[in-house]
Amino acid sequence: MASPNISTGSPAKRSHLDWVARALVGVGISMVLASGPSAADPKLLPPEQAFRFSARALNDRTLEARFAVADGYYLYREKLKFAVEPEIAGLAVPPLPPGKVKEDQFFGKVETYRGDVVVKLPLPMPAGGQSLVLTADSQGCADVGVCYPVNRQKVTLVLPATGKGPGAVVEAHPRKKSWFN
Amino acid sequence: MRRAWLHWMVIAAVGILGLAAGIYFGVERESPTPKPEPMAAAALNGLALPDAEGKEQRIDQWRGKVVIVNFWATWCAPCREEMPEFIKSQNELGPKGLQIVGIAVDQADKVRQFAAEIGLNYPALVGGFGAMELSRTLGNTVMALPFTVILDRKGAIAHTQLGVLKPDKLNAIVKQLL
Repeated sequence: MASPNISTGSPAKRSHLDWVARALVGVGISMVLASGPSAADPKLLPPEQAFRFSARALNDRTLEARFAVADGYYLYREKLKFAVEPEIAGLAVPPLPPGKVKEDQFFGKVETYRGDVVVKLPLPMPAGGQSLVLTADSQGCADVGVCYPVNRQKVTLVLPATGKGPGAVVEAHPRKKSWFN
Repeated sequence: MRRAWLHWMVIAAVGILGLAAGIYFGVERESPTPKPEPMAAAALNGLALPDAEGKEQRIDQWRGKVVIVNFWATWCAPCREEMPEFIKSQNELGPKGLQIVGIAVDQADKVRQFAAEIGLNYPALVGGFGAMELSRTLGNTVMALPFTVILDRKGAIAHTQLGVLKPDKLNAIVKQLL
């Protein structure tokens, strides 16, 4: 007659170890889970990464400026400013795209930008082949509750010859290529 | 037989490793307390800046008190929002030796106006880019605001904080130092 139960050592001792082991596993798993999405703030980015500035020349008389605002950050529309060197009299900054309206206790209604912000900047006259430095000032905050002072970023652009298509995108602070990018 | 016992011990070992990893990564993910550079405390203690009325104030005039140095600006909404609680703390703990000092990275007239509006009961000093740079050496590597440093009665740095310093945390730290 086969005996289905094969006992290994003293049953009382074995079940004690079982419970200790199971308890440790349970505690271990719950600690791993608890430490995962922690309530602590994520690491804050420096402003040139939180508000990545880049630009390109679309043609011999139009620049296109872009801010890539990282998730969890926002820019103030009112604080966006552009300038070019050499100074071109009458650089037109057309009305900026509308932002999201926010009620600020102190300043009243403010407009903010998240995600990608693109602004076209027409030059008063064609400047094909010329090199320009485009300066962008921006000011923004992180949702976790900090704000950055006005941050200045610059790119140098060479305008394409008359009739030629968009130039390459130039980043103010190029990302370092690494495994993780 | 013996295998079953081993089986459970392996699972327990994995569990313990999981616990250890969880604690390690949990600590890592906590936003780290900004670390001051070696000479930063001395620089902060020796700092002299004009207040909103233009009168020069030295930080070391408050040596012997627990000093909370709060870097802020009127253009920083979270900074403005935490200040009413600082006013309460100054009222409550000032008699016991707390001194809060604001350093505004801002223009004097805006600082004056806002200080009057909220009934500021502690000094508001006016700093420029130099103040931001000092905060960087105190551990504010991204140079954002608000940034707060707490000095003990001897002028040593007891705590640094990037972002709003909530009242219960402020009270917990300050009461230990008073």
